[in-house]
Amino acid sequence: MNDRPELFRGNRIFLACIYWSFVLYVFVPLILMVLMGFKDSKFIGFPIRSWTLEWYVGVFADAEILSTFGYSVAIAILSTLISIFVGTWLAVLLEGRKFWGRTIIFGLAVLPALVPGIISAIAFRIYARWLGIEPGMGAIVWAHAVHNVPFVVLVVMARLSTLPRSQIEAARDLGADPLISFIRITLPYLVPAILGASIFCLLLSFDDFVRSFFLGGYEPTLPVLIFAMLRSGMSPEINAIATVALILTAVVGIWAERFTRRMNKDS
Amino acid sequence: MSDQTPLVRIEGLSKHFGDTVALDNLTLDIAKGEFVTFLGPSGCGKSTTLRILGGFERPTTGRVILDGEDVTRQPPEKRHVNMVFQDYALFPHMTVAQNVAFGLELKGMSRSEIRRRSEEIMSFLELESYASRYPLQLSGGQRQRVALARALAPDPALLLLDEPLGALDAKLRGQVQQELKSIQRRTRKTFFFVTHDQEEALTMSDRIVVMNKGKVEQDGTPEELYFRPASRFVAEFIGETNLLSGQMRGTEGDKVVMDWENTTLLGTAPAGIPGKGQPITASVRLEKLGFSAERPQTANAVQGRVVGKTFLGSRMAVQVAVGDGDVLLKAYVDVQTGQSVDDDLIWIGWEPDNMAVLND
Repeated sequence: MNDRPELFRGNRIFLACIYWSFVLYVFVPLILMVLMGFKDSKFIGFPIRSWTLEWYVGVFADAEILSTFGYSVAIAILSTLISIFVGTWLAVLLEGRKFWGRTIIFGLAVLPALVPGIISAIAFRIYARWLGIEPGMGAIVWAHAVHNVPFVVLVVMARLSTLPRSQIEAARDLGADPLISFIRITLPYLVPAILGASIFCLLLSFDDFVRSFFLGGYEPTLPVLIFAMLRSGMSPEINAIATVALILTAVVGIWAERFTRRMNKDS
Repeated sequence: MSDQTPLVRIEGLSKHFGDTVALDNLTLDIAKGEFVTFLGPSGCGKSTTLRILGGFERPTTGRVILDGEDVTRQPPEKRHVNMVFQDYALFPHMTVAQNVAFGLELKGMSRSEIRRRSEEIMSFLELESYASRYPLQLSGGQRQRVALARALAPDPALLLLDEPLGALDAKLRGQVQQELKSIQRRTRKTFFFVTHDQEEALTMSDRIVVMNKGKVEQDGTPEELYFRPASRFVAEFIGETNLLSGQMRGTEGDKVVMDWENTTLLGTAPAGIPGKGQPITASVRLEKLGFSAERPQTANAVQGRVVGKTFLGSRMAVQVAVGDGDVLLKAYVDVQTGQSVDDDLIWIGWEPDNMAVLND
């Protein structure tokens, strides 16, 4: 543990300064955003003379905001289910096997993560029109699912590559055919990876603006709604929505990170 | 050993991986209830044979007949064979009891039958108190027993063991060897054991098949292999030995006469003895050499000088220079009987039965 060279005092202070300036750089905007949500004035900016919860009350009383939130969550869940199913299937197909065209399939599976959001959004828009798919929930779920598949493929493949071959052989040896050994041995082994990837997909989808904007119908997702509200001017109400979303995603993300880490350690 | 048909019949089995020949035309029978060990260095073909028997590899040529049925092309799940894996391959998300029950469930047994059988096998292996633990909560020795219980539970005709003691520490290994042997005796199961550890093979097996470069070097009981090795490879691989390089002089009854360091020695010969005048090698085990101050009555005797002694506890290893002094013989002296090896010049004697002439 302690075989690193000891740092000189000056060096330590220097490194600490860099670290804390980075933390400030990352968190100051978030802190400002949260603070403004409690300001008792329509005008965003310092100084804050009096505080209020009025904006939060407004958010939770606003039926449109609540239903938009539900809409975003529904899209996130549906698109995640699809990406998990397709991504796991692709990972199992690709990992540890050699066949003609494997590299091409792998490349195509990972590509959606690399295409810039605006380009894939426009492409999806054109493709959807050509296929006759109406803009709306279906189109958004489809675009989100495609975009998220690569993350599932990579995470699940990484986990799968650590499954000892003897595990499957032992299952086969004890009378399980390939399907049963997949369901009873491989899948339980993949659970931490699948859970981790799911959380990641949920957050990616919930956060997405570009694809939802281009493929959405009349009903906006939460980021699209915030964008629309911004056009009529910045209001502390937006800060309140953003704060609630921030807390929710942070809690889910941190919980998932700890959970998957514990599961990985257990097996 | 058996007058019935063998449990396993291996016929002309070969396995090629690209240009490498892992197994070269192996033909062998295994009788029911035998503890057979395949012994050899890594890459000798022992693991390939095991994996073919388990159904994890298809042989390039040849057949495997199990209980009269050709199983060469059967997948592992159809075979009445179970395996203890080198890394145990216990399922980490299942308890000990669930691991043991896994094979029984897949046999389609009723729930009460599964319960009865798993409890029976777990109590047989003294695992009852661990039934609800997970593999990660067990020690190496306990995991090894769970792996054994899981493989024995479905009552296989043949149990394959792939170096299952390799991961255990030396002290535990000795104890587990005794345990395995006694389990095999009590269950009367046929054990097919693979190892590169000669001591392990000698302690446990009824029969040892020594493999080298995909072929059988020798097939026999531990005693036969140890005292009458058929080849130089076997003599060197199993235990410690003195190798005497000399010249063939002829035969005398069933004995071979050889010239060695200006002495004439008598030894036992394998099939196919080399011709007169040919160079030959013979092997004498360290513990078969006796010391005396006077010339001994044994058929073979040479005089030498003690050049080194190593204290080993109950016995002492002695090195004796023979002839011009460039040939060393190693021997054991029992410390308790107090055989004196303090003299500089000493006689060493041994009987022809204890010296095996080898095929190179």
